[in-house]
Amino acid sequence: MAGSSFEYTVLTPSEEALRDEVREFLRTELPPGSYEPDLGMSATHSPEFSKRMAARGWVGMSVPRRYGGPERTAVDRFIVVEEMLRSGAPVGAHWVADRQTAPTIMKFGTDAQRERFLPAIAAGECFFSIGMSEPDAGSDLAAVRTTATRGDGGWFLNGTKIWTSGAHQNHWFIVLCRTSASEGDKHEGLSQLIVDLHAPGIEINPIPFLDGTHHFNEVVMTDVFVPDELVLGEIGRGWQQVNSELAYERAGPDRWLSVYACFEHLLRERVHGTPGARTAEVIGGISARFFALRNLSLSVSRTIDRGGAPAVEAAIVKDLGTMFEQDMIAALHDLWGAEPSLDAPTTGERMLARAVLTGPSFTLRGGTNEILRTIASRGLLGWYGLAGAR
Amino acid sequence: MNPVAPVAADPILLDTITRLFGDTCSHEVVQAAESEGWAPTVWAPFAETGAPWIAVPEAAGGSGGTLADAVGVLRLVGRYAAPVPAAETGLLGGWLAAAAGFDLPAGPLTVVPGRPEDDLVLDGSNLSGTAHRVPWAARADLVLAIVDGRIVAVDPNGPGVEIVPVRNAAGEPRETVLFRGASARVADAPTGVDASALRRRGALARGALIAGALDRVGEVTVGYANERQQFGQRIARFQAVAQHLVRLVSEIQLVSMALNAATAAATVGDAAFEIASLKVLAGDAGSEVVARAHQSHGAIGMTQEYVLHQLTRRVFAWREEFGSTAFWREELGRLVGDAGADRLYPLISQGSAALA
Repeated sequence: MAGSSFEYTVLTPSEEALRDEVREFLRTELPPGSYEPDLGMSATHSPEFSKRMAARGWVGMSVPRRYGGPERTAVDRFIVVEEMLRSGAPVGAHWVADRQTAPTIMKFGTDAQRERFLPAIAAGECFFSIGMSEPDAGSDLAAVRTTATRGDGGWFLNGTKIWTSGAHQNHWFIVLCRTSASEGDKHEGLSQLIVDLHAPGIEINPIPFLDGTHHFNEVVMTDVFVPDELVLGEIGRGWQQVNSELAYERAGPDRWLSVYACFEHLLRERVHGTPGARTAEVIGGISARFFALRNLSLSVSRTIDRGGAPAVEAAIVKDLGTMFEQDMIAALHDLWGAEPSLDAPTTGERMLARAVLTGPSFTLRGGTNEILRTIASRGLLGWYGLAGAR
Repeated sequence: MNPVAPVAADPILLDTITRLFGDTCSHEVVQAAESEGWAPTVWAPFAETGAPWIAVPEAAGGSGGTLADAVGVLRLVGRYAAPVPAAETGLLGGWLAAAAGFDLPAGPLTVVPGRPEDDLVLDGSNLSGTAHRVPWAARADLVLAIVDGRIVAVDPNGPGVEIVPVRNAAGEPRETVLFRGASARVADAPTGVDASALRRRGALARGALIAGALDRVGEVTVGYANERQQFGQRIARFQAVAQHLVRLVSEIQLVSMALNAATAAATVGDAAFEIASLKVLAGDAGSEVVARAHQSHGAIGMTQEYVLHQLTRRVFAWREEFGSTAFWREELGRLVGDAGADRLYPLISQGSAALA
């Protein structure tokens, strides 16, 4: 059997040292009880915290030294992200820039773009949003209607992006747009432009989340001028580039740690001594899955560091991880939940209320699990030596 | 402490056993073993390779080799639904015999798994009482058990032993053995060899068998969905079926990862956290994977002539042995609860090593 590239791996001594360093940093910077923990990656936007992380070399971790970055491995980034998310740290400001923008600019950007953006990202001073979804382009991303038309020395952008997290707080976003009409194949004629969120012609309107919080925005672009030097990669290759970018965001700890801190807080608040049978069953079921999922996720990072391209594996981790997060919310709520209340007296209860309310988004963000499985199913043929079967 | 690096099984050994089972474990042979309770055409060549005694030290009469080798072989036993007492002879019975310093007989061994309803008592060197769900008891040269914390061995064909035939859901012998003052060899158990250690090793062994069976369930199901045509195309192209395939293969990856992590941990320690996790995930996958595999197959998967049931019935049987899914879930929850919230993440990320 050809099988997957999932391989059991453990941290090396230097990786363990990094983990210990991050734990020590968190003990000083975020002592328990001094902050309200966030639910994973939809975290508080704190430029100050991002800056302090950057000072340690933990933002833009993939950025090479020649562009002012720490040039760390995928496993190193896994370790930092794991420790931050499990503590519910306020990593919202640099999140997208660190996870996907920096590697994307490194891969497709010009030298000038790398020099302009990568050092700033690694310094924790330059924050990005994602400019993909549109009102009529959700799962069917290639249906984007935002157009860029040729002007003198650049492009004029017109269209509307939605679900743009942090657009009201970040500096830039990378916009997927149509630069030429598609003749038949709608995946052709798409391009990516790096766009200043403060440029003339940009209008940012909040889309309040169902719990009243403000992450999402609608970004309306009217004749926004984007100079040629901010075209990312090749004109007309936007679809291929965007798919490469999406692969970065699939398999990390953000896909299975969103509710961890809630679990830990509830355990601290509710379990004193050996748990009873029903409580033990719930804790045991959650712990077993955490353990195996973490190892699958770590394995993807290790494979990437070895030069592999574990696309199907990454999709599987995202699917398993996000469903686990939701199952966990249901199990914890079933065991311990009263009526969810954002004003509950304890941290664990407040986090659980937030998780109950926002959990349905976990299997939507970054692409629905259903679409993800359809993509992954094609890759399974290779795993089972059936590549010619289609 | 931090978890130990992965340990790989000997690839030549795995190749040999893959070929051996591929040649000997035909659909008909596996079916016949279910009615006859034994498959001499599989056991004989398997024993010939020495593989049943892997991980039992050579000094104790075993074949030597690592725990990872033994787990690798068991995974293949599961994959081919091979009707042989491999775990019982090596990882479990061989381990007990070696710990006790008993000579190994030429044939297979078995162990008393230790069910709550068992009532074995030792009077000097005479064993009495009833042991339940003893695998292939009638075919074993020696039955090993832990009674009152001591290691006991009895010849099941000797006087004072009666074997009542019982089979599991996969038609494998899981007999009730009645001892009436049967003559037993008795030895003190060294530290680390006790009833809960036996249950953990049993759970690791069953986890390996289940992982192997699920490997093949995945292969068979993805293969079938890419051959079977309905509405003029391969059914794997339908989104509803594709979702089943990805979900079932994903659950198999979880079990496989848990097995590899548990094997590494059990090489150096008791692996209490990892083995409990493995058995929980293998049991859960038993529901999820089996259901989706059958659903993807349609009616053909429910027939005796098609291979799927040889695997899925074994998964249903094996996941109940050496502690059910619910048993291990609770056991794991108590372990985690006792460790407390401050050690929760170290446990999840480092496993048993976090408790050392």
